[in-house]
Amino acid sequence: MVLTPARPRRMWGVTDQPSANLYVPMIAIVQEIIDETPDTKTFRLAFEDKEYAKSFEWEPGQFVEVTVFGAGEAPIGFASDPNERSFFEITVVERGKVTRAMHALKKGDKVGIRGPFGNCWPLEDMKGKNVLIVSGGCGLAPLRPAILQILANRKEYGNFLLLYGARTPADRNYKYDLDAWAKRDDMQVLETVDVGDESWKGNVGVVTTLFDKVKVDGENTVALTCGPPIMIKFVTLELLKMGFSADRIVTSQERYMKCGVGKCGHCCINHVYLCTEGPVFTYAQMKELFELKL
Amino acid sequence: MKKDYSILKKSDVPAFFASLANEMQLIGPKQLFSGDVTFDVIQSHKDIYWDYGHVVYPPKRFLLPHFEDMFRYTCDQEIKIEPTCNPQPQAIVGIRSCDVAAIRFQENFFSYPIVDPYYKEHLNNTVLFNLVCNTPPKKECFCICCDSGPWLESGFDVQLTDLGDRFLYEVGSDKGEKATEPRAYMLLPATPADIEARRQIELQADSRFQTVSYVAKAINFISADEVPAKIWEDLGSTCFRCGACTNLCPVCTCFTVDDREESDGTFTRCRSWDSCQYAGFTREASGHNPRPTFGSRVARRFYHKTSYQYIIRDGRHGCVGCGRCITACLTKLGLPDVVKRIRREMHEFLPPKEKAAEV
Repeated sequence: MVLTPARPRRMWGVTDQPSANLYVPMIAIVQEIIDETPDTKTFRLAFEDKEYAKSFEWEPGQFVEVTVFGAGEAPIGFASDPNERSFFEITVVERGKVTRAMHALKKGDKVGIRGPFGNCWPLEDMKGKNVLIVSGGCGLAPLRPAILQILANRKEYGNFLLLYGARTPADRNYKYDLDAWAKRDDMQVLETVDVGDESWKGNVGVVTTLFDKVKVDGENTVALTCGPPIMIKFVTLELLKMGFSADRIVTSQERYMKCGVGKCGHCCINHVYLCTEGPVFTYAQMKELFELKL
Repeated sequence: MKKDYSILKKSDVPAFFASLANEMQLIGPKQLFSGDVTFDVIQSHKDIYWDYGHVVYPPKRFLLPHFEDMFRYTCDQEIKIEPTCNPQPQAIVGIRSCDVAAIRFQENFFSYPIVDPYYKEHLNNTVLFNLVCNTPPKKECFCICCDSGPWLESGFDVQLTDLGDRFLYEVGSDKGEKATEPRAYMLLPATPADIEARRQIELQADSRFQTVSYVAKAINFISADEVPAKIWEDLGSTCFRCGACTNLCPVCTCFTVDDREESDGTFTRCRSWDSCQYAGFTREASGHNPRPTFGSRVARRFYHKTSYQYIIRDGRHGCVGCGRCITACLTKLGLPDVVKRIRREMHEFLPPKEKAAEV
């Protein structure tokens, strides 16, 4: 089996350009704000233009450029169920100027949205295989649509295992989801934290320490990973040891981005513009790019 | 469109460009009070400084401005977005072949696979009057090694060759033909002797270059990532991170985007030139920088300029041999020097057996 994260059906500037100018955003309204961790919030957004909202489609793994008016623009991955068409969610960690301004938004405020951009997780190609998801911190956000999509079509996939690591118990994203998923009998969820506290009864250590606790058939499983670069490196090395072939380790890469359409040059890795040809790559593809060498 | 040679007598040049200036803004080489020559808006055809040789500052800013407003918006009561792109027709007169080649490279980059509306608008409104270099090239020039000069086979709208008291006038595109038509009465048919005179200029051009850069071998090493990190780190250790190389490079296109507050309370989204030589170019919001060392950023620049992967992607390598990176760099990190250094040092790095095979 050869997995290739495919070009999605719709991508702003290629197939789905609502205005004459692909740099001009569409207006969306903040419907709800969910506090995830002390520095992370999830925003539920819906387009002001109802006609456009109806035609707005995206796939797990893609991202949007979010404008906070008066502050600037930042690329953020989709974090909600792709089948839910009346709204979409993005999860934002407070880090820079734009994300700080985003955290100051209130319900009813308006933001600008350009997108969807990028390619998607190869969920179609993965059908019939076991799925292993390894995620760290807010790296769970771009994987959440994939998890929800797999759960919606649960019969088409084999064993489903999620390994999730956070810095502290308070830093767990989507606590409500993790708790609900852990109760399901058609998927297995294992969690760890780097630093525990009195309330934490689970594993303590980096996410790779969870690998000893599970049995994974390296031959017949596809691994999706997303998290800090250092985590991706060690997870990939562990997966290779477990017998995963390079084309069955799939990662979402993160880079500084400005335009989203492969022009500004910031996200370029070797000759590949991550915003149009990524952000999802298999390890086999990453090996071709020297700058992603492990 | 038929390719045709005509003659524009130098005595008719003022009338020709004065008439063109009625239809569009003229951009051309202009001598400043300091004596330097730079591309600027030409108010009177007399300001066009034809014998300028080569300018340090490329005319790329007339198509990709340093700061370009993308749209304006208000966000106090309701959000109102107004796109601001409104380029005026312009003719860049006296542009050199290397810069025309660079503009064609940028055109390709900005129109494939996704079209950048701003660059497209600017280019659609621009006519390029290329001036063949038949004076001795500057000592830094090496366009002959990069297939981008001293004359061009295609890519120009109009190409002028200086034949003493007259210009050989070549139309190379529909846009060029359209700009010529209203003034076609000033052109005379070219004689075989004129075309022969131009051929002689072409034949003599090769021997005039002082700088040559044998990029082929360096392309091999860089494309295969065989250049040891130590060489890049050595090169990077001398870099001043000033970004002059990327700012003066007529091929470089990277930009950043910012929102700026205006005095009237509205905001403007503006894009401005950026450089892969700056540490902040790839630094993410989390603080992680995928290209943390000076060497890795210098490697990035030369990978973009010369790798096969980019040649396949963009149709040619990303250097037009204008030599501006040599003039600009305080520490000799221009393309020919880096290529020379890679070729030499790689030879030293090779084990003796392979070295013998190499010879």
